[in-house]
Amino acid sequence: MRKPKILVVDDDPDLVKALRLRLRANNCEVITASDGYSVIAAAQKEHPDVIILDLGLPAGDGFVVLERLQSSDALSSIPVIVLTARDPQGNEQRALKAGAAAFFQKPVDNEELLNVIRVSLPHRSAPGVPMMS
Amino acid sequence: MDRPETHVLLIEDNPGDADLVRLRLVEGEPQVRVECVSRLSDALECLGKETPSLVLLDLNLPDSRGAETFRKIMEKAPNVPVVILSGQDDEALAIKAVHQGVQDYLVKGDVSSKQLERAMRYAVERQALLRSLEIARKQQLEFKNQFLSHVSHELRTPLTCIHQYVTLLLDGLAGPLAPEQSDHLKTVLKSVNQLHAMIRDLLEATRAESGKMRVEPRCVSIGELMQQAVAMMNPTAQGKQVGLEIGLDSRIPLVYADPDRILEVLINLTDNAIKFTDVDGSVMVKACMTEADPGSVYVSVTDTGRGISREAQSLIFERLYQDPDSIDNNRSGLGLGLFICKEVVRLHGGRIWVTSEPGQGSIFTFTLPLYSLTELLAPVVVYQEHLRAAFVLVRVELAALTNPPRGNWRETWQQCLETLRRCVYLDKDLVLPPMWASGSTETFFVLASTDTERAGIMTTRIREQLERIADLKTKGTLTITTAPVEVGSVDRSQSLENQVEAVAGRVTEMIMASMDKKRKGNGVKHFN
Repeated sequence: MRKPKILVVDDDPDLVKALRLRLRANNCEVITASDGYSVIAAAQKEHPDVIILDLGLPAGDGFVVLERLQSSDALSSIPVIVLTARDPQGNEQRALKAGAAAFFQKPVDNEELLNVIRVSLPHRSAPGVPMMS
Repeated sequence: MDRPETHVLLIEDNPGDADLVRLRLVEGEPQVRVECVSRLSDALECLGKETPSLVLLDLNLPDSRGAETFRKIMEKAPNVPVVILSGQDDEALAIKAVHQGVQDYLVKGDVSSKQLERAMRYAVERQALLRSLEIARKQQLEFKNQFLSHVSHELRTPLTCIHQYVTLLLDGLAGPLAPEQSDHLKTVLKSVNQLHAMIRDLLEATRAESGKMRVEPRCVSIGELMQQAVAMMNPTAQGKQVGLEIGLDSRIPLVYADPDRILEVLINLTDNAIKFTDVDGSVMVKACMTEADPGSVYVSVTDTGRGISREAQSLIFERLYQDPDSIDNNRSGLGLGLFICKEVVRLHGGRIWVTSEPGQGSIFTFTLPLYSLTELLAPVVVYQEHLRAAFVLVRVELAALTNPPRGNWRETWQQCLETLRRCVYLDKDLVLPPMWASGSTETFFVLASTDTERAGIMTTRIREQLERIADLKTKGTLTITTAPVEVGSVDRSQSLENQVEAVAGRVTEMIMASMDKKRKGNGVKHFN
């Protein structure tokens, strides 16, 4: 059974590193991007199972990225979990309307984040589905 | 010197007085344009159309007398300076008006054109000054709030990093830890969590101050919120060897409140109580009803702690207040917790207060409005002054496929709720306000004024309509059940009001039983 592939998008390299360690420890494969522009290219190339997306990004903020992902037939089905320092008031509904699967304000509880990744993965009975530990 | 035209609205019902004032006005300042009305209603109409430089106001008009006259004028045109024209006999009232924001007063029959001109000019200047002060104050407040909101967001980024690395270390993901290292890291994590709570409070208080705090009331069991709060605070209480108990009158009806917000208030009050209670003391969280105020539930947190001085009691809910007696406690926080509690309770239409005897302990009490079905039901259960014959309670449950739900579950259930509202007859059925949701399940109740047979037609209609919602198909499941409301024993000879109340009582019991059973996982006995 293959590991779920998570694309982590954040412009803070220290946080990306920590999330990578955390996700790897939970049986995920991790790829990363640090700006709005490279998310789309990375998603097209790597076909991640889930994207963890910061909103405040250089070269196209998170909402622009969400819009681009949603307008692409190949990418619109990838669940996007927004993880941002921004206020949920005003941003949460906007992100969910723009197609995000979930919204978390930083700092996030690890178990909650892992749980949302778990439920965002394709249904277990489908063939060739990724499994987390 | 060329001055802009001064436009005076003169409100005076005595034609002689009006003429005299007009004469004096023109004498003093030929550039003045005077518009004269004799009734308050005409004056309000004028102020709706045009903003004069000044209002000259007689307090006793044919359609309004005394203090009410200037209050109405100032409400309609808060930025226009008002000068009162008072008679010899009502000077006291004029002085009172000045205290309440009127710029000046002149005693009729004792006014020279010079005096009038001077009073006018000063009134206009003072009003302009006040207005610019008010604008500056608002700008400053807005700036401060924006700054605080910006700061609290900026602090989150480094805090997130600390939190992530500390938890990585603690979970052993960077290698095994010696017990002492693990203990130290736990202390770091505790401080990180405290800092996180402070940042949240800072933003929350800023929101409260700028009127941006929101509550989303639902129909909630206060007992269950109390149990949740106590369960969450139990480790803290045990760590301090303080007893933590719950006291719940089993007949507490449902309340209309925002469950997340009220849980915050309960946790805040309980945490404070434990903090200020010594070893072997106890904390009690209680809810009760009172005869004096039957529309509210009283929730209280009682401790056997050190108590609060009388001076501190009156200040404790103020923003940034720190009790000097508790400063020795090095974790005393920002002094925002009780301010936030007060604002949350106030937004619910409740009150919060403290009673305390220094050395004996404190009781913090807040009130919440009852969820009263009687008023909601009255328009639909009564027809032509009689209680309708039969009622059915329909229960619509939307359960998300996953917990937490995927994507915009909120939008999905809101869409379902709107559809549900379109499926009922407005004059005889009622979709009740949303029930307290347990994570991924939303429950709605509809009271239908109909018999069981016809209710079947209604549920079929509801099911058909809800199943058309594409989002619901992919995200959740739908369960609809019905149960007749037993009204055979309602005494129809008593007052209509009492009959409606009896029906509301039955319905409330059914709702509570159904929500209770669901939570205990036994299925719903009442519903077929």
